[in-house]
Amino acid sequence: MSADASDLSLVRRVQRGDKGAFDALVLKYQHKLVKLVMRYVRNPAEAEDIAQEAFIKAYRALPQFRGDSAFYTWLYRIAINTAKNAVVSRDRSPIEYDLDRHNSDESYEMQGRMKDSETPEGLVLTDEIRSTVNAAIDALPEDLRTAIVLRELEGLSYEEIAAAMDCPVGTVRSRIFRAREAIDRRLREVFEGGLGRAEELG
Amino acid sequence: MNEELDSQLSAMFDDELAPGECELMARRLSRDEQLKARWGRYAVVGAVIRAERGVRLNAPLAGRVSAVLLAEPALTAQSVPSIPQRAGLRWWQPVAATALAAGVAAVCVMWLHAQAPGYGASLTAQLSAAPIRSDTPVIPASVALSAGQPDSYTVPRTPKTLPGVVPSTELANYVVAHSMFSPPVARRNLLSAFMTSEPAPGGAEEPQGNVKKTTGP
Repeated sequence: MSADASDLSLVRRVQRGDKGAFDALVLKYQHKLVKLVMRYVRNPAEAEDIAQEAFIKAYRALPQFRGDSAFYTWLYRIAINTAKNAVVSRDRSPIEYDLDRHNSDESYEMQGRMKDSETPEGLVLTDEIRSTVNAAIDALPEDLRTAIVLRELEGLSYEEIAAAMDCPVGTVRSRIFRAREAIDRRLREVFEGGLGRAEELG
Repeated sequence: MNEELDSQLSAMFDDELAPGECELMARRLSRDEQLKARWGRYAVVGAVIRAERGVRLNAPLAGRVSAVLLAEPALTAQSVPSIPQRAGLRWWQPVAATALAAGVAAVCVMWLHAQAPGYGASLTAQLSAAPIRSDTPVIPASVALSAGQPDSYTVPRTPKTLPGVVPSTELANYVVAHSMFSPPVARRNLLSAFMTSEPAPGGAEEPQGNVKKTTGP
């Protein structure tokens, strides 16, 4: 199994002119990238703008990407440089990485609400998504919950999870898939309901 | 979509799908909006589990990026650097390396052949059978000139030779006898090399024997 094969297959499609494949890359990495940029800027809205700029820069530079490194590593560097340039150009000093501050839910909730206050339905939706996913995870059988948490939280490979759970790799793949499907069934309702509410508000 | 495809999508999201299957799934993913939405929700699940607070889980970032890229020209194959093209420019490198290796090997074989013990003896035997002998008439240079013959060199024999070593004098005479078949410059260089390499008897620095040289017109 080659690492980063899925990203590389999407990247090759983009390089051949398939913009839809780039959407998949943005969907996959948008949260990670915004979180990364928020180490440099205080405002989540500004972090989203910088992340957007980083994605567009990455798209334009994609012809030069040869796959020598993982796509996310390459994207990460672009985002860091974009964030640093944004900080310099706006004459703002980057915030220090304060572990206590980052571990404080209240602090992050405040930062999140700075943006969400502009869109009340967005704030409700974010909270609803979070609570729905957490409830769905709690409702999972233990083997499924352990598999998905080891994958998403610890970042373990299927092989490592198989060793940790003492089961075949195929079983790990099946457990993670079933966990995602169970969560997605609930999450899909939230997204569809949220979109309906947004249309009503609009 | 069947369960197997859903399972492949989940594995692809984790970079745990075989490259061949990734290609097929990437094609489906780029075209199927429902599949893309499911892929996006998988990312949301991961963000919630990692407690990525401060990040808007319903942020329209992907939509905004997609809208901006609508105005961008699609990338083409020409804009992507092609590694095979770069490799094609270097076709001559293995050819040159092979030719160089063959040349070195040929020189080594010739040198080893020359170092073989029987080589000198056989050459000595050939020289003894050569038409140049002590009784071979030596044509004076003046006569040769007047007769319009080519350059001629005469090197007297050395009385004593080491076994297995061809005396330079004999070798020189052999060369002179076959001088008809070699260009003058090469012949001259070869004879000069013989004279300088031969040890001078009596400690004399100058080579013994008369070296008559006449330059041709």
